[in-house]
Amino acid sequence: MITFIVRRLLGAVLMLLVVSMVTFAVFFLVPRIAGQTTDQLATQYVGRNPSVTQIHAMEVKLGLDQPIYVQYGRFLKGIVAGADYDAGPDRTHCPAPCFGYSFKNQQPVWPQMLSALPVTGSLAIGAAILWLVTGVGIGVLSALKRGSIFDRTAMSAALAGVSLPIFFTALLSLAIFRDSVPLFPDAGNFIPFSESPGRWAEALVLPWVTLAFLYAALYARLTRAGMLETMNEDFIRTARAKGLSERKVVVKHGLRATLTPIVTIFGLDLGLLVGGAILTETAFSLPGLGRFAVNAITNQDLPEILGVTLLAGFFVVLANLIVDVLYAVVDPRVRY
Amino acid sequence: MAAPLEPLDLASPASEPGPGEPAGGTAIQGRSLAEIAWTRLKRDRWALAGGVVIVLFVVIAVASVFLKSAGVLDISTYHTDLIDHNTDKPLGFFGGLSLSHPFGVDPQYGRDMLSRVLVGSQYSLLIAFTATVISVVIGVVMGVVAGYFGGWVDTVINWLMNVFLAFPLLLFAIALTGVVQGTNSAFGLSGDALHITVLVFVIGFFNWPYIGRIIRGQTLSLREREFVDAARSLGARGFYVLWHELLPNLVGPILVYATLLIPTNILFEAALDFLGVGLKLPTPSWGAMLADAVTNQYYSIDPEYILVPGLAIFVSVMAFNLLGDGLRDALDPRSH
Amino acid sequence: MKRKNAVAFAAVCAGLSLLTACGSGSSGGTGTSNNTAGAAAYNAGLNNVVNPSTKAGGTLNYALSNTPDSTDPGNTYYALMWNFSRLYARPLLTFKSAPGADGLKLIPGLATGLGKTSADGLTWTYTIQSGLKFEDGSAITTKDVKYAIERSTNYAPSVLPNGPTYFQQYLTDPTYPGAYKDTTPDKMGLKGIDTPNDTTIVFHLQHPFADFDYLVTNPQTAPVPPAKDTGSNYQTHPMSSGPYMFSTYDPNKGFTLVKNPQWSASSDPNDKQLVNTINVAFNVQAADIDSRLLNGSLDVDMDGTGVQTAARARILGNKALQVKADDATTGFLYYAALNTQVAPLNNVDCRKAIMYAVNKTTQQTAYGGPIAGGDIASTVLPPTVSGYQRADQYAATSQPNGDTAKAKSALQACGQPNGFSINIAARGDRPKEVSAAQGIQEALAQVGIKAQIQQYPTGSYYSTYAGVPNFVHQHDLGIILGGWGADWPDGFGFLSQIVDGRAIKAAGNSNLQEENNPQVNQLLDKATQTSDATARNKIYAQIDQIVMSDATILPEVYSKALLYRSPNVTNAFVTEAYGMYDYTQLGKA
Repeated sequence: MITFIVRRLLGAVLMLLVVSMVTFAVFFLVPRIAGQTTDQLATQYVGRNPSVTQIHAMEVKLGLDQPIYVQYGRFLKGIVAGADYDAGPDRTHCPAPCFGYSFKNQQPVWPQMLSALPVTGSLAIGAAILWLVTGVGIGVLSALKRGSIFDRTAMSAALAGVSLPIFFTALLSLAIFRDSVPLFPDAGNFIPFSESPGRWAEALVLPWVTLAFLYAALYARLTRAGMLETMNEDFIRTARAKGLSERKVVVKHGLRATLTPIVTIFGLDLGLLVGGAILTETAFSLPGLGRFAVNAITNQDLPEILGVTLLAGFFVVLANLIVDVLYAVVDPRVRY
Repeated sequence: MAAPLEPLDLASPASEPGPGEPAGGTAIQGRSLAEIAWTRLKRDRWALAGGVVIVLFVVIAVASVFLKSAGVLDISTYHTDLIDHNTDKPLGFFGGLSLSHPFGVDPQYGRDMLSRVLVGSQYSLLIAFTATVISVVIGVVMGVVAGYFGGWVDTVINWLMNVFLAFPLLLFAIALTGVVQGTNSAFGLSGDALHITVLVFVIGFFNWPYIGRIIRGQTLSLREREFVDAARSLGARGFYVLWHELLPNLVGPILVYATLLIPTNILFEAALDFLGVGLKLPTPSWGAMLADAVTNQYYSIDPEYILVPGLAIFVSVMAFNLLGDGLRDALDPRSH
Repeated sequence: MKRKNAVAFAAVCAGLSLLTACGSGSSGGTGTSNNTAGAAAYNAGLNNVVNPSTKAGGTLNYALSNTPDSTDPGNTYYALMWNFSRLYARPLLTFKSAPGADGLKLIPGLATGLGKTSADGLTWTYTIQSGLKFEDGSAITTKDVKYAIERSTNYAPSVLPNGPTYFQQYLTDPTYPGAYKDTTPDKMGLKGIDTPNDTTIVFHLQHPFADFDYLVTNPQTAPVPPAKDTGSNYQTHPMSSGPYMFSTYDPNKGFTLVKNPQWSASSDPNDKQLVNTINVAFNVQAADIDSRLLNGSLDVDMDGTGVQTAARARILGNKALQVKADDATTGFLYYAALNTQVAPLNNVDCRKAIMYAVNKTTQQTAYGGPIAGGDIASTVLPPTVSGYQRADQYAATSQPNGDTAKAKSALQACGQPNGFSINIAARGDRPKEVSAAQGIQEALAQVGIKAQIQQYPTGSYYSTYAGVPNFVHQHDLGIILGGWGADWPDGFGFLSQIVDGRAIKAAGNSNLQEENNPQVNQLLDKATQTSDATARNKIYAQIDQIVMSDATILPEVYSKALLYRSPNVTNAFVTEAYGMYDYTQLGKA
């Protein structure tokens, strides 16, 4: 078991390394392929009326004049060992994990991401609970009452749910429940849970529901399909033949077998969302990682883009790892 | 966020070949399976409706190319006399509906909405189709190679797919398209042609692992089948077996997942437009119109403007989903 | 009685808005100037203090659609920050906090009076009040003011890159390396500024510069104690010299200000210290800001650029909301630069063809219509800038839909009777600008000029694309859209960066049209040395007229912004200096 976990951990680290390398290479190369010189890149960060010497000074300060491997090396070193930065009067130390200093606001990237994390976390986890309960619940009921009115209605709604762009539903919910019927006047105005749980929830209800609507639709469809398949399996027939009550068959055998793959997918979805629910956060202007990422990209702020991509990648890899390990615990054959 | 390009719906277990059920067979059996599938599909009214709508959209998209150059569809003439200059709102009922403008006109400019939404189908469909082709080609090649050859090839490709899945997809797509936005000519292209090409490649290139995984799984199970063994024992070489024995049996799943990938790609493109890195006005793409409705908040003063492209997206996405679901059910012997 | 009139007027105004009769015109469409002070009426905040009150306490909530370039007073070029930073960083001089034209008057900030210039115009001397204190109780001296300039963008752009660099351009010792590389023991190495004692500061200029008082209104002259300077981290907690001080700061979420106990109203009669706390939230979607403003959960839209389309429609369509709105002149000009180096626009007649062909009404609509967008422009200088003189060389206001006939004969004159092909550059993430580009494209098509729109990101528009002449020439960007506001509200502050041929730069260029007319350059020099304001203003008007004859700037609109004045806020009025509410005065109702 230990070797399995260690092997998986090493794999995860390797994967993150590759993600960081590819991201770095892409953002290093694409602007250059598109014809920008390092001078022009540096010009973006020296205010409105820069002179040539100012531009060059900024180029050197940001390290843009260095070859790609040197810049990448610096970036990695900062994450592992921290780095020192020229803040003007003195050099400030940026402790590990140091994702560098933002080109734009000259603040360290890591604390900025840490402060955005609770927002995305609140959004993702709240929505996840909501969609897991409703999505799986509806899926199971639909499968059990296959062909009924409930099944048809639920599945039509689910199909509509996966066919609607999420920002469309988000804007619709804002237009209706905030602007026309102001049930949630403060929707999207994030307040930390520790400050006021009530206002925290009030700001997040609409984003939760919007996000959960899409995922619940997906999960309902998935659960229904999985459940229908499971209920046709031999072991269910055996269980029924044994004379178990239908309720027991469904709950103990059917549900368990159906839910295992759902939980896997759930883990990955959650990992992906914690890394930034870009569209939802943008539509509701929640100051989470997704919004941070979009802002970083509009500002072409390389350290921020790298940081947030890597962090998002980290959550996906972590979710993968957890799912893998849990699987191995449940089913020893996986360890091969 | 994963939502607009949600891959997990594709991973629905329903199409995995079940134990004891041949997923395909010799060429003769394959044809008969197609026949069976077709008879089933014919009975699925919803899937047929989806198919009809898709055909309709394709006809519209192709016809609009000619109608536009013939001057029947006019996407660019301003009708400022139909606009309230202080609020940008079209005068008249529901976005300025009239005989000469049956879908009304767009806010601020007063351009004919019917023409724009019809011509817009070109962009959505073109991008979604071509991106899907790219994903499918890469995914099938990778999946078949990995599944068929196994060993280290499989390990490498599988790992590669995991790396891709660990990337925060949408984030990366925004960043990439955002960087290329800045140049108005690259790779010998300019204007819309450049943006469409970039969109197609970014969307297509990032989606292949989902198809790749499924095809790999199918290939793995097909590889062990008797008919493949038989071909091999008759002296057939690797690529011959791949081309003549495996591929025909993969046509079903490829068709299903390609059909289900198209709507995800339509939503993906709209999402990139929404975030301001896709196509932009005056190009009359549906996503660009929605983005305009969003950035200028026309959605709350002129609901017609968001409903027309929104419904166009919704209906086309829904149609593809219906057809995809129907195809999956029809090709899956156990579902009835 | 008067109040009733005002309301009646607002009603007529809403009804007539389709005819664009209201809110346009130089009067600002108000008629509210004779309105009783303090009443809420449409445009009341332009000429009156609305909800005047001395009520103290409460929290004011501001929101910003992006992040400011910096909260460091030495490192910002945003008008909203020049306005807002006065709450915690007092410059030597500032603009009077008053509605109407009075808001353009200079008054002392830290200083005891306006600057005194020597006979040769080469030195400017200021005296600051004694006994002023920073938030930590330490004394404010002119050394702190000198240090603040030494560390600012003028001399230390690699640490604080965002601010203007006028001091570096005008003071002697332009090669001073900046406070952070200053090797003198007390870091007072800049020879362009002397501090003979703790309350006197003397600026030494290379050439006489009549507008110098305007320069010292910049937040860069707000004192910074050398011992507390943390360079690029100073923005997280600038040492306050004003009524408020920083308590929290998060670079992506915003910051909080609380009362500065060391500040006293007696030493600062211009500023107010009413509310207990000021919250500023960053990165809130513009549409969200509007919704929250209208539902009362937000007090001030810090951007100060007006509400978005949806809120505009709601406000203009609802009298109860309209009385809480002000249609403010922002002092901005939106224009299309016609580049003199891109063929065939290197021919003045080809440029004139465009000047005539463009439909100014669609341009106005693109920027938001007569109320939220502004009035159709016909000169380079906007009416709020001193030096403006009414003129209309291309019949922009008399024939707002464009003059196709004249455009065609201009095309004949330039030898392109069948038109030509050209590119239009616009900022893709500014929907109004893209709309304007579409309008130009459509109008030019009618005289045979085929224009293609090229969109670039705002963040690097000036640094990498439109502001890089080489790039412009290579990509045939003959028409470049842009907006310009004065760094200070007179002709020189407006014109110097955009029409002076010597201001053309290889990157970050603001003279987008690459106008390099020796006559214009000479007149600009002459203006800086003319101490008589009337004579100076005549020169500015003359420059304006020459640039228009050169047909290098196609003015689109004199920008206006429909601002929403939340009823939660007291002492609200628009300061003409910044074209938005005066943030130093606001209290909570």
